Amino acid sequence: MTRAEALVGVRNVSKRFGATRALKDVTVDFEAGRVHALVGENGAGKSTLCGVVLGVHAPDSGELLLRGSPMRLDSPAQGAGHGLVGVAQELSLLPAMSVVDNVVLGSEKRRGPFVDQRANRRRVEALMAEHGLETPLEARAGSLSVADQQKVEILRALGRESRLVVLDEPTARLAGHEAEDLHRTVRGLAERGVAVVYVSHFLNEVLSVADTVTVMRDGRIVRTASADAETQESLVEGMTGRHIGEIFPPKPPAPVTDAEVVLRVSGLCSADGDFSDVSFEIRAGEILGLAGLVGAGRSELVHAVYGAGRVASGSVELGGRRLAGDVAEALAAGVGLIPESRRDQGLVGRRAVLDNTTLPHLRSFAGWAGIRGTAERQSAEKACRDVGVRTASLQQPVQSLSGGNQQKVLFARAVLGELRLLLADEPTRGVDVGSKQAIYEALNEMARAGCAVLLVSSELEEVIGTCHRVLVMRNGRIVGHYEDADMTAANLLAASFGTHDAAAEAGGAAGGVEAGDAAGADEAGAGGVGGVVGGVAAAGAGAAGGVEAGDAAAAAEPGAGGVAGGVGSGGADGADEPGAGVAGGVGVEVDGPGAGSANSAGGAATAAGAGAGVAGGVGVEVDGPGAAAGAVEVSSP
Amino acid sequence: MMIAQSLPVARRYGIAVVTVALFLGLAATTDGFLSQANFRNILDQQSALLIAASFATITMISGGFDISAASVYVVSPLFALQVENSTGNAALAVAVGVAVGLAVGVGNGLVVTVLKVNSFIATLATSFMVFGAGFLVSDRSVLRASTDAWPSIARTRWWGITTGAWLAAAVVAVAWILLSRTRFGRHVYAVGGNAEAARLAGVPVARVKTICFALAGASAGLAGVVSSSRSLSALPSDDFSFVFGVIAAVVVGGTSIAGGEGAVWRTIAGAFFIALMINGFNLHQIDPIWQRVIQGAVILAAVSIDAWSQRRAL
Repeated sequence: MTRAEALVGVRNVSKRFGATRALKDVTVDFEAGRVHALVGENGAGKSTLCGVVLGVHAPDSGELLLRGSPMRLDSPAQGAGHGLVGVAQELSLLPAMSVVDNVVLGSEKRRGPFVDQRANRRRVEALMAEHGLETPLEARAGSLSVADQQKVEILRALGRESRLVVLDEPTARLAGHEAEDLHRTVRGLAERGVAVVYVSHFLNEVLSVADTVTVMRDGRIVRTASADAETQESLVEGMTGRHIGEIFPPKPPAPVTDAEVVLRVSGLCSADGDFSDVSFEIRAGEILGLAGLVGAGRSELVHAVYGAGRVASGSVELGGRRLAGDVAEALAAGVGLIPESRRDQGLVGRRAVLDNTTLPHLRSFAGWAGIRGTAERQSAEKACRDVGVRTASLQQPVQSLSGGNQQKVLFARAVLGELRLLLADEPTRGVDVGSKQAIYEALNEMARAGCAVLLVSSELEEVIGTCHRVLVMRNGRIVGHYEDADMTAANLLAASFGTHDAAAEAGGAAGGVEAGDAAGADEAGAGGVGGVVGGVAAAGAGAAGGVEAGDAAAAAEPGAGGVAGGVGSGGADGADEPGAGVAGGVGVEVDGPGAGSANSAGGAATAAGAGAGVAGGVGVEVDGPGAAAGAVEVSSP
Repeated sequence: MMIAQSLPVARRYGIAVVTVALFLGLAATTDGFLSQANFRNILDQQSALLIAASFATITMISGGFDISAASVYVVSPLFALQVENSTGNAALAVAVGVAVGLAVGVGNGLVVTVLKVNSFIATLATSFMVFGAGFLVSDRSVLRASTDAWPSIARTRWWGITTGAWLAAAVVAVAWILLSRTRFGRHVYAVGGNAEAARLAGVPVARVKTICFALAGASAGLAGVVSSSRSLSALPSDDFSFVFGVIAAVVVGGTSIAGGEGAVWRTIAGAFFIALMINGFNLHQIDPIWQRVIQGAVILAAVSIDAWSQRRAL
């Protein structure tokens, strides 16, 4: 690794927006050739700090140094002139233009007045080769997967000879294996001497990909430390001043077995092929989790239950009454939805908090002269107070609130409806730890009041920490059902990736899990997870051996990997994301990219990530795009 | 926070402030402006435009763009006068005129929601059809009122003010209340602001859009009737200029072409801003050719200032 050198220095910078002090006396160095992560809750000042470095915000006081000499940035264009570029959280590609056109946009090579397509293409090809980022050149940007779009976005930044790249929440919309790809890209950037500033809410990701971590809280820097020296617990503590164990409030008591079945879904099939033959029940007061990979058909299923998706066959019954598949009917029957994307599907951004809270319930405020304003306002006020929406007034446009508060407005909307069934699709995505906690409380509160809750989440930790039971979906089918002690990250992951059968066969390792779980202590639990993961990998390799004799030798190693893997994913602490958990076993098999490099074992294990899990999968079931990715992954480190 | 809370008030009501300023400016500088006759005249002249523009505002907030108002405005009185000429029943004729507009509006709404055609294109296409129907129904000639009842629709004076202006006030009030006080109004904002979120909140998106077009059509029909009652006749043409006046009033008022934002009061302010400006030109005897140039520049300035202030307001 190159010796650290401060490319950009931030010295005693403060920044104020109106009465809000976004940055207070911030001093930090961003070094060439290193990945420097910024973590903190929403509003801690991460984005403002990035903005100062990129020239988006001018600091009120303090100064910026470029290689030690003072630098003044008045605009992002000046920042870009110094090679300081950002990749935004929301992609800014032109979807109808080709990858080449997007990458060279604004810096097209020309011959006379005409764009020289061939030269541009060569330039992009050279960039891709140099950085090992492969995407189809002529494809329309809009037709690419989110991960590929992100690559295009990064290529665009690199095309401007960047010396510092800011990535703001780059993996927020990526599936596990796509995030792994991105992590490799990020590491690659750093190895080429680029200073990378990496903002993320996913702490395990931060620990695995970053060299240095800066923790921010309330506009101040809490500390800057080597990633090796941090754990998820220490980061959360730094960000919130609270301990990680306090994030999940105690679950409400599980419903008694004769509690009323609120929702019964039988043999439901999508008309668009997104899911098929789905059956399950939820009782009053029960929180049922729905886990699985992005694209497994979970959101589509939720929409179908809500009456907003097209159904080919099967039935949805609420309290014994069959729903016909119409949103208005579902609402009237007491079904509420917190949609996956609050911006695109949930809120009308420019309208007031009040309007957004009461939108589906206006009928109940109808009076002879239109809406009864006082009654509406009082109800909305109460609902917002109940779920802890923080807003200056109900007349505030909802888009002016923070992400967490916007999400709470959707909960206030749900609470207002006196729900019998709440469908919450990724309700904590992109919100800070404090808001997450409030959202878990709101979910629990609803369950305690007798509401049935269906929680869709890609964060396994969240599913395990809040649900009574969990279903796992893969390729549009329900492939697993777990409760109590079976509800482990390893089981859920294995089912999500389709390596579950292998885990069952690897009896010894599976036993290891249970032992670990029963012990309950943090360390033992982590070991247990690692154990199973190793087991999965071992079984996978074993099966592969059965099919292909050539791999038999390899089978022994993953087996061993299982043990070491326990340590590895223990470091990453409980697979709360697909990549991390499955990691361990193969991480070692591939000859510890982890163990070797400067990172902690935990970090490295995650880096080896999905590849490992999927590699196990390759052996057992030769299916899915994951398999191919896994094969590549295993050989590449 | 102080700034953030006090400035938006000025920004929010910017168009009203500008209109009042223009009023005061004209009152101070222009002879003959501050007279009852002049105001009555302005009110009467604006009546047809206000009737159509208040519901055009609602359509635009719902995310629709309706340019068929001009064709309905031209053609509805042709149908109405044919009925009036043959039956002598003015009330029936008014009903027919409004019904023609309603029918065109429902058609527009269905084309936009069922066939999913962009509303600008859809209403452009229906405009040509309606203009053509006007030539057919009138046999390409001017139609004149045959009863005394027809002119009395808009020309009767109550307390000095014409019934056309009273009618406009009533329509404006209905549109205003509908948009700001009712469930339908909230649905209009939701559909225009984020149609998918509205759908998932149980709002019948297609129905709301269709109703918006239907009401806009009916109001354009009524506007045409009021206008022909004022002029005692109706002439077939394919003149789009009426709808440009309507859109100018809506947009100068600050209602967003992108949908989701706006208000009926804004359109009223926008309409009077333009009307006062033209009135001022006339009283100062400015060459009508220059009036157009200045009018265009002022509209551009008003819209730019509004766009700028709304951007800053975030």
